[in-house]
Amino acid sequence: MSDPNPDADGDPSVFARVVAPFVDRSVAERLVISVAAIFLSILVGFALVLVSGRIAECSTAAWTMPITGLGFCYNPFEVYVVLFNGALGYPFAVGDPGLFNPGWTPFNLSFGLTLSETTLLIFTGLSVAVAFRAGLFNIGTQGQLVVGALATALTVLALAPLLPAGPVAGLVLIVVGTAAGAVGGGLWGAIPGALKAYADANEVITTIMLNFVAANVAYVLVLEVFRAEGSSVVATRYVPEYAQFPSVLFPASTDFALIALLVGVAFIGALYYFVEHTSLGYDLRTSGVQAAAAEYGGVNAKLTTVRAMTLSGALGGIGGSVWVLMSEGRWMASIPDLGFDGITVSILAGNNPIGVLPAAFLFGILKGGALEIGFRTDVPTELVAVLRGLIILFVAMPEFFRMIGRYAGVGGAGGAGSTKPDESAGGDGGEADA
Amino acid sequence: MNPAVHLDGITKRFPGVVANDDVDLAVERGSVHALLGENGAGKTTLMNVLYGLYQPTEGTVRLDGEPQSFDSPRDAIDAGVGMIHQHFMLVDPMTVWENVVLGNEPKTWGGLRVDREAAREAVVELSERYGFDVDPDATIADISVGEQQRVEILKALYRGADVLIMDEPTAVLTPQEVDELYGVFDELTEQGKTIIFISHKLGEALSAADDITVLRDGVNVGTVAAADVTREELAEMMVGREVLMDPATSPQEAGDRVLEVTDLDVEDDRGVEAVSDLSFELRGGEILGVAGVDGNGQSQLVEAITGLREAASGDVRYRGESMVGKTRRDRIDRGMAFIPEDRQERGLVMSYDLVENGILGSQHDPPFANGGRLDWNASRDHAEAVIEQYDVRPPDADAEAESLSGGNQQKFIVGREFERDPELVVATHPTRGVDIGSTEFLHDRLLELRAEGKAVLLVSSKLDEVQGLSDRLAVMHEGEFTGIVDPATVTEEEIGLLMAGESLDDDSVEGAAIHDAAGGGTDDTPGDGSDGADDASRDGIDGATGGDEGVDA
Repeated sequence: MSDPNPDADGDPSVFARVVAPFVDRSVAERLVISVAAIFLSILVGFALVLVSGRIAECSTAAWTMPITGLGFCYNPFEVYVVLFNGALGYPFAVGDPGLFNPGWTPFNLSFGLTLSETTLLIFTGLSVAVAFRAGLFNIGTQGQLVVGALATALTVLALAPLLPAGPVAGLVLIVVGTAAGAVGGGLWGAIPGALKAYADANEVITTIMLNFVAANVAYVLVLEVFRAEGSSVVATRYVPEYAQFPSVLFPASTDFALIALLVGVAFIGALYYFVEHTSLGYDLRTSGVQAAAAEYGGVNAKLTTVRAMTLSGALGGIGGSVWVLMSEGRWMASIPDLGFDGITVSILAGNNPIGVLPAAFLFGILKGGALEIGFRTDVPTELVAVLRGLIILFVAMPEFFRMIGRYAGVGGAGGAGSTKPDESAGGDGGEADA
Repeated sequence: MNPAVHLDGITKRFPGVVANDDVDLAVERGSVHALLGENGAGKTTLMNVLYGLYQPTEGTVRLDGEPQSFDSPRDAIDAGVGMIHQHFMLVDPMTVWENVVLGNEPKTWGGLRVDREAAREAVVELSERYGFDVDPDATIADISVGEQQRVEILKALYRGADVLIMDEPTAVLTPQEVDELYGVFDELTEQGKTIIFISHKLGEALSAADDITVLRDGVNVGTVAAADVTREELAEMMVGREVLMDPATSPQEAGDRVLEVTDLDVEDDRGVEAVSDLSFELRGGEILGVAGVDGNGQSQLVEAITGLREAASGDVRYRGESMVGKTRRDRIDRGMAFIPEDRQERGLVMSYDLVENGILGSQHDPPFANGGRLDWNASRDHAEAVIEQYDVRPPDADAEAESLSGGNQQKFIVGREFERDPELVVATHPTRGVDIGSTEFLHDRLLELRAEGKAVLLVSSKLDEVQGLSDRLAVMHEGEFTGIVDPATVTEEEIGLLMAGESLDDDSVEGAAIHDAAGGGTDDTPGDGSDGADDASRDGIDGATGGDEGVDA
């Protein structure tokens, strides 16, 4: 790694010194950092599992430390092996002769669960990422997902009786339902966008508040109006089976549809193309990195804010559609925190649409693996959640530092990029007193 | 006695580039030394070696004859070298004294508590010793740029600097503040401090420095005493050839009315009127210069014309069409080019490469966009053409804007805007930070645009520039034109009076104030130029032709 030259600013603050090295990393360096971070987090988690395994009480020790002979209730090796191996459905044969498990196919239950989570997080991750690229911090993907999911469920339930049951109707319902989710989420996202653009309301605050509004309004609506008869939980009726994404290749119990994953990957590609290769995408990301320059370049800042938030909301809404049409089959009140996880996925991905795929996959593995640990070991699920949190924390932190540093204007010209015999930047009158 | 600073055979290589090639530099204690050179000549690299930011590939840094080896600026500071960067490193909400001691606070309670009284006392004592007129309790955000610079100097002195390196110290200062800075130089040198300042301005080096070292392409061309050298000789040392100090304007028939500003009022960010009741017009084939001390409403005027700021009242008509309610994009589409004053805020997206920056403003227009899709090949060709034509260095379209030096950033912006095929060019400080050779070229391009019948509104704080290029010269003071004069006949004293807000009654005003009068006798028609519209207008422009003698560059 190149010398980050941290002292370029003469006498930078401690904050700048901490953050600056992260700002100017290349993609490759960041990848290396991410991998190193995973290992570091495993190391810390390892110790954590040992300590809690020592504190916990059990009849037989799951693991005995060599030499010392100390017994531990949880086996830290097993935890991580199960976490990663189990998330994929045990492709590696641990303990048995041979590296690979001969009976393994990718189309197994565990891997299906992992991919199901991945698919959902692709949409919410993209939702957060696109807002980030426009310089907006959309915390409201969760609310947009809730609204989108409700719009999808209600639309499909309303239209289903009008069409003859069958694959054609299924296709129509899925497409129309997803579109309804996009519209619902998009409108819900447009609200904080418009508030930001025309009333100068901070989008972080408004999106957080709109999450509560969305969750509670949807709850009351379903409770009072759309609740399925005889249902013990607050939920709508199930949409017809044929109007759900079919579980091709994978067991039906995985709640995973390869088609939905492919749609997610297509969205990644489309969004990448939009951001990098279209005029509107140029407007959007220019607003995000340097608003004054965007304005100078003829970008309508208000309109771009509304557009970006609408697009972000629509993606969150589609996440909700997929959740209804692939995972749950209906709208119900206890929607998982996919929208909030999307924030971390996006940060992990450096807000790059392409990066959302591996980031969402890592999340999917952690989710699928956690389930496996619950099945296979005595390790409590709370501890597994801590291990997951550690991995995310360690992996996301450098990227988070990088974003904060960029935001604070640390690094840049003084960093690794400027190994050229430059005169320092020339005289800009207004700069100094800015 | 050994020189205070002696750089002995410094060579600094970067991958693929030799930034400094065997440079010797000796600076006597108590003297002011100017390091002069064009953008990219290696001045800043050399000073970064002295300041410990770079380690020299070859050569030795000696202070008072002692060889030094700096691993970081910390070492250099400990050895008594301080550097004041062009962009100040001050914390805006904090007070002057807090900024000065920041990082080296006197501590009590075993290092747990900052001894505020002692710190403030030390700063007061320091600023009194050097006669600095700075209020130690003022907040940085509230003091002028010149005062902020003095705080930076205090910071370096507080850390025990004997040698002060200043990077383009005058770039951000008003003429008055520049004079004050020279006074500060005198104070410092009297007390035995040594000053090295980086500059690419000849006049500055000649008036402020005792000795001048000229760098060109990383090589020391020579060190001369400021007293024994002329402007022309220095310019030739810098550029390596003879430089025409004055652009050659030629007579030019004014064309159609391109821009017509009527009773314009513009407010600044705080809602204070910055441009008041201003009226003027600008024709094709004409350059209207706007001179004035920075901050007298030039920025707001320009922003109102180009669509970055809404006017409070009044009208801007562009080619006969009212621009009220028209967005920035509308105006770009109608052929307005704009060179903004803050190139790193507005003119360029610092994290984009030049290919991406080359389409800023044209991102919706062919050939760069087709049906909403960007054509990066066309963008690349465009960026490369601008880079080549405007001599942007390094000639690499993939270089990020922030990796370019200020002058090269400026050249790229000017190139991009000029190649837009505009009808109106609004240029604010187009050559600020640009070296002499490139300045010449940009001036020539401006005159070419004028010859092609384009209208140019040229705002510049360089008096010689506006005077030399303009057909008419407007002087702005507190949001009004105190006069529109003929740049060929007006004297610097007269411009100075106008810049200070006084009006002129003598004849020099007469020839040039005509366009306003022709526009219909608005209230703020300056002076007494309301007679003989057409004839006098011709006079004004012819006058500009002969204007070359009047300019002392």
